[in-house]
Amino acid sequence: MRNLMQQPFRTAVLVLVWGWLLFLVLAPNLLVVGASVMTRSPGTFISLPLTLDAYRQLFDPLYLEVFLHSLYMAAVTTTVCLLIGYPFAWSLSKVGKQRQVLLIFLLIVPFWTNSLVRTYALKLILATNGLLNSALMSLGWIDEPVQMLYTEGAVVIGLVYLLLPFMILPLYSVFEDLREDLLRASHDLGAGRFSTFIHVIVPMTLPGVLAGIMLVLLPAMGLFFVPDILGGSRNLLVGNVIKNQFLDARNWPFGAAASIMLTLAMAFLMFAHRLSKRRIGEDGV
Amino acid sequence: MKKLALAGLLAVGLTGCSSEEPQVLNLYNWSEYMPQEVLDRFTEETGIQVVYTTYDSNEAMYARLKLLDDSAAYDLAVPSTYYVSKMRQEDLLMPIDRAKIEGFDQLDPDLVNLDIDPDNAYSVPYLWGTTGLAVDSADVDGEVTAWADLWDDRFDGRVMLTNDMREVFHVGLRVLGYSGNSTDPEEIRQAYEKLQELMPSVRTFNSDAPRMPYLEGETDIGMIWNGEAVMGKEVLPTLEYVYPKEGIIAWLDSFVIPKNAKNPDAAHKFISFVLKPEISALISEEIGYATPNLASRDLLDDAVASDRASYPTPEDMANAEFQTDIGDEALQVYAKYWEMLKSGQ
Repeated sequence: MRNLMQQPFRTAVLVLVWGWLLFLVLAPNLLVVGASVMTRSPGTFISLPLTLDAYRQLFDPLYLEVFLHSLYMAAVTTTVCLLIGYPFAWSLSKVGKQRQVLLIFLLIVPFWTNSLVRTYALKLILATNGLLNSALMSLGWIDEPVQMLYTEGAVVIGLVYLLLPFMILPLYSVFEDLREDLLRASHDLGAGRFSTFIHVIVPMTLPGVLAGIMLVLLPAMGLFFVPDILGGSRNLLVGNVIKNQFLDARNWPFGAAASIMLTLAMAFLMFAHRLSKRRIGEDGV
Repeated sequence: MKKLALAGLLAVGLTGCSSEEPQVLNLYNWSEYMPQEVLDRFTEETGIQVVYTTYDSNEAMYARLKLLDDSAAYDLAVPSTYYVSKMRQEDLLMPIDRAKIEGFDQLDPDLVNLDIDPDNAYSVPYLWGTTGLAVDSADVDGEVTAWADLWDDRFDGRVMLTNDMREVFHVGLRVLGYSGNSTDPEEIRQAYEKLQELMPSVRTFNSDAPRMPYLEGETDIGMIWNGEAVMGKEVLPTLEYVYPKEGIIAWLDSFVIPKNAKNPDAAHKFISFVLKPEISALISEEIGYATPNLASRDLLDDAVASDRASYPTPEDMANAEFQTDIGDEALQVYAKYWEMLKSGQ
C-alpha cells in the first residue's frame, strides 16, 4: 500500500527534475551552442551556413586581453574572498550551534534583496559625496573626499560583497566535518599548531577551498552589471563583452561563443576539483 | 488526484476571467519617459488598463520586438530616430490609421514627414531632444562652448560620457569635422584615436540616468541628454546645458505599433490621448523633453517654454545632426573600436 502511494510521487518528482533539467538547462545551452556555430546575419541575428568563425574571433588579441583582465579581476576577488572567508568559516564552525544558525541566517539574508539593488546601494556608500566619505570627513580622518567610485577597487569591493557567501558556505561545510580526533592525533604526535595547520587542516579543507573558488571565480567574470555600475563601465569583463555582442553589435554567434568559453573554463575547474578530491581520498584517511 | 482537480479548477477560473477582462494596452517605453499621471488619466477616460514596460536602449527594444514578434507582447513602442526606419524596412511595424488619430495636424511640420518615415505612415512623433554638453559651473571656470573642450587637461578624471556607442563616436567624429553618421572605416578609426586621447580623463560612462554622476559630485563636465539636464538642474542649480558649436546630437522618439499588436485600437487611442494639447504639455513639463505638439506650446509653463535646454533657439540647432542607420558593416567597425576603447587599448 505504502509503495503504491510512493510510486506516483516518485514519478512526479523525477518528471519534474528531468523536465527542469531538459527544458531550463539543456535546451537553452544547446541553443547557445547552436547559435555559436551559425553565421551572423543582420536581419535574423543568426543564419546558416555553419561556421567556426565566432570561435576564431575569440583569439583576437583584443578579446584575449579582455579575458586576461577579467581573469585578473576575478582572481583578485577570489583571493580576497578566500582570505576573508577561510578564517570566517573556521570561526563559524567553532561557535555554539545556536549562534551558528543565526550567523548563517545573517549571511543569507542579503540574498533576499536583488543583487542589482544592493550594487546601487554600494554606489551610494562609495560615491564622492557618499556615506563613507562623509563619515571619514566628519571624523576628521580625511580633508578631501577620496575617489572610490568608478575605480578597479570599487569593482573588486562590489564583487567580493556579492560573492563572499559563496566562498564561506562550502568552506563552512568542510570545517564542520573536520575531525577533531585527527587534530588531536597530530598534536599528540608532536606537531605544532602551524604544522598541524599546513599538514592536516589545509589538505582536509582543500575540497571546500576549491569549491569556493569555483563558485566565485566564474561568476566574478560574468557579473557585467558590477563593472557597469561601480566601475563606470570602464572595466570590461567577459560578461560585458557578451552583453555588448548580443545587444550593440548584434553579433550573436560571437556572444554565444564567448559564453561557451566561460562554461568550458567552469568545466575545467570542476575537473580539477574532482581530481583533488580523489587525491585526498587516496592519501588521507 | 486532488491536486489535478485543483489545477483544473484553476485553469477554468483563469479562462473564466479572461472573457470579461478589461481592455489592456501593452506600452513598451524608455525608462522615466512617461509620467504616471498620464497613464492614470488615460485609464480613467477610456477604461483601458496600461501595462507599462521599460527599456534603456534602442538595441534592447529592437531585439525584444524582433524576437517576440510572433507572441505580440506589445501594442505600442517608442523607438528613436533611425530605428523607426530600420524597423519599418524590416517589416516589424503596422501602418498607422490616420483616421483614428486626432490631433496629428498640430505636430511641428519640421518633425513630420522625415526621411525615417515618409508621410508618417508608421510613426507618430512623441518627444524630441538633444544630447549635448553638461557643465557644472561651480567646478568649471571659464566658458565651455565646444565638444573639443572636453579634451582640455584641466578636466582630467572629471569627464562623463553616455554609455552609448553611437553617441560617443558622434562626438569624436564631429570634433574632427566629420559627420556623426560616418560609415567610412578610416574616419571611424581617426575618431577612435581621438577618443582614445580623451579616455584617461573619462571618469565614467552612464546611460541609465546621465545626470547622476554630476549630482553625485563624480564628474564636472561631459555629455547629457537635455531632459536629464533639466531634471538635474532642479537638484544642482549650477548644472548648465551647453549647445556645442560643432553641433548637437538630435533625436526624435516616435510611437510605433508592432506588426502583431493585439490591441491596435487601444494603441491609436493612446496616441490620440497623448496628442491632446494639455497632455503633451504635462509630459513636457514633467520630464523636460520638448513636445513636437505645437498646440501645446501655449499651455506650457513659461519657465519650461523659455528654457533653452528643452526648447533650443534655431542658432542652438545650427550644426545639429540626427542619427541615421549606418548599416550592418559600419556597425561592426564601430563595435570593435568601442570595445577597444573600453578595454583601454
